Amino acid sequence: MQSSPDLAAGNIYDLGYRRYQGARLGRRQAVLTIYLQSLRAAFGLGRRPAAKIVPVALVVLALFPAALRLGIAAATDQNIRIVEPANYYSYIQILLALFVAAQAPELVGRDLRNNTRPLYFSRAIRRSDYALAKLVALASAMLFMTALPQVVLYVGNAFAGSHVWPEMRDSAPDLPRIAVSAVALSLFMAAVSLAVAAQTSRRAFAAGGIIALFVFSGTVGGVLVEAGSALWNRLGILISLYDVMRGATFWIFATDPEPESQLGRADLPGPLYAALLAALASLALVLLLRRYMRFRP
Amino acid sequence: MALLSTESLTKRYGHVTALDALTVTLEPGILGLVGANGAGKSTLLKILLGLVEPTAGSATLLGFDTGRQGVSLRQYVGYMPEHDCLPTDMSATDFVSHMAQVSGLPRGAARERTAETLRHVGLFEERYREMRGYSTGMKQRVKLAQALVHDPRVMLLDEPTNGLDPAGRDEMLDLVRRTGSEFGISVIMSSHLLGEIERVCDHLIVIDAGRLVQSAPMATFTAATGLLAVEVEGRQEPLAERLAAEGLRVRPEGRFLLVGLAGERTYDLVRDAVVDLGLGLVRIEQRRQTLEELFREPGAVEDRDAVLA
Repeated sequence: MQSSPDLAAGNIYDLGYRRYQGARLGRRQAVLTIYLQSLRAAFGLGRRPAAKIVPVALVVLALFPAALRLGIAAATDQNIRIVEPANYYSYIQILLALFVAAQAPELVGRDLRNNTRPLYFSRAIRRSDYALAKLVALASAMLFMTALPQVVLYVGNAFAGSHVWPEMRDSAPDLPRIAVSAVALSLFMAAVSLAVAAQTSRRAFAAGGIIALFVFSGTVGGVLVEAGSALWNRLGILISLYDVMRGATFWIFATDPEPESQLGRADLPGPLYAALLAALASLALVLLLRRYMRFRP
Repeated sequence: MALLSTESLTKRYGHVTALDALTVTLEPGILGLVGANGAGKSTLLKILLGLVEPTAGSATLLGFDTGRQGVSLRQYVGYMPEHDCLPTDMSATDFVSHMAQVSGLPRGAARERTAETLRHVGLFEERYREMRGYSTGMKQRVKLAQALVHDPRVMLLDEPTNGLDPAGRDEMLDLVRRTGSEFGISVIMSSHLLGEIERVCDHLIVIDAGRLVQSAPMATFTAATGLLAVEVEGRQEPLAERLAAEGLRVRPEGRFLLVGLAGERTYDLVRDAVVDLGLGLVRIEQRRQTLEELFREPGAVEDRDAVLA
């Protein structure tokens, strides 16, 4: 590029366009960028302040059962065992659904609405890279809703007792179970919600659809459970996404549900819940990927 | 190495054929893709980007097969789509920098290149504002910037002047021309306006109904026509008679006399004739054909025939 002294003096700030000789990190960098940006977007980071309120509030609310138990333990010196790792997700199931309902449309709906996808798909990635980066990002964000309260509960319990280390050691077997259940539920809910959210650019439809899927599947399942026969009872449990999540979680924690609860009465094998959870997550992933494969700009 | 070559490239949407066995080879440069709306320009660009799969045939861009080597190819390609594609709630800086990283640039380099590129396209203080308030002209600049920020070897621009006012149009065309010629980045630019292509491009591809009509250097379209246009002060007729007597072909056209060019001597003959007749010579220039005339001509001829009949 030529540069005359006059021109340079006149435009001190204008260094002008230059060719780029530096590193090109390719697909890896592209996927990492989409992942990180989506993870930040799941908490409203890099967006206007209002976008942060809902996700942060939900994370705080999800900590409430843990705080309650720890608070009671601190106040009464009694470690009441009501809120347990195995049933923690049941207490906050509506919060979990609200989080994915609010944030899944944020992750995929914006690109749909603004028609930004052609810009991504014309870069050095595959379409599946884009979809998977979004999925892993939302699942990672969900860990703040699932794993974080469990970890707080675990550490808090240990410090609530008089013997920190023995307490931690005794409940150490819970740690891998917490990790596996949190990752499994986060991936499941992220996949299901993204599969729904990717179908529409209308935020309200997507959010409503996701809430409906989790809540109404439970309602329909509950009606079937009450309908009577043992077969209907079991079918009802398997239709309800919340019950499938709960059954899989109990299996991961090697715990039996209360015998008098719906889950206890259905008396289905634990692996069945886990297998169904995996199957539904896979189905959702297929729907999500297909949505992007079939996209024609 | 050829920039682009296609082999019987065909794309059908149901019963509609968007591209019909297009075979063409093009050298690097600033290439203009002209055709009416729906002629297949956008489809061709999208196939090159791997956004759309061809029904049959193959295409190679920068030596990469657009189907099998799409991911490797797209590291070196910048794409500016025809339609709106910008998130309204981000600033231009954040967005272009993000897209630079999606193109594979490390974070620091992406920031640096974003500042340079936005300056290059003429976006200054506004670049820190959310894009929802941008004018069409500013949006088009951001779209160009995100196609340029990773320093591609070829840019595919789909109707880059879409929706711009005449001034914005001029600026955008200058920008494309400068980027292409000063920095050696090849450009494939589609437009349905011949005038734009003529100003910017050095090679022209004309497609119609998915078929290749013409592919040739711009110079062959706008070559000298072998006519001198002469404008004089005073009456034309004596000059016309005088030149015809000298054996030149002469035809009046409005204020001009069109004189068939027969070697260098023609200029001298015209000059001498004007001096001898005591006329004032206003203008003498070689007539060039513009693209618009070239494409309008068949229609114009038909119209004239219709009037005569």
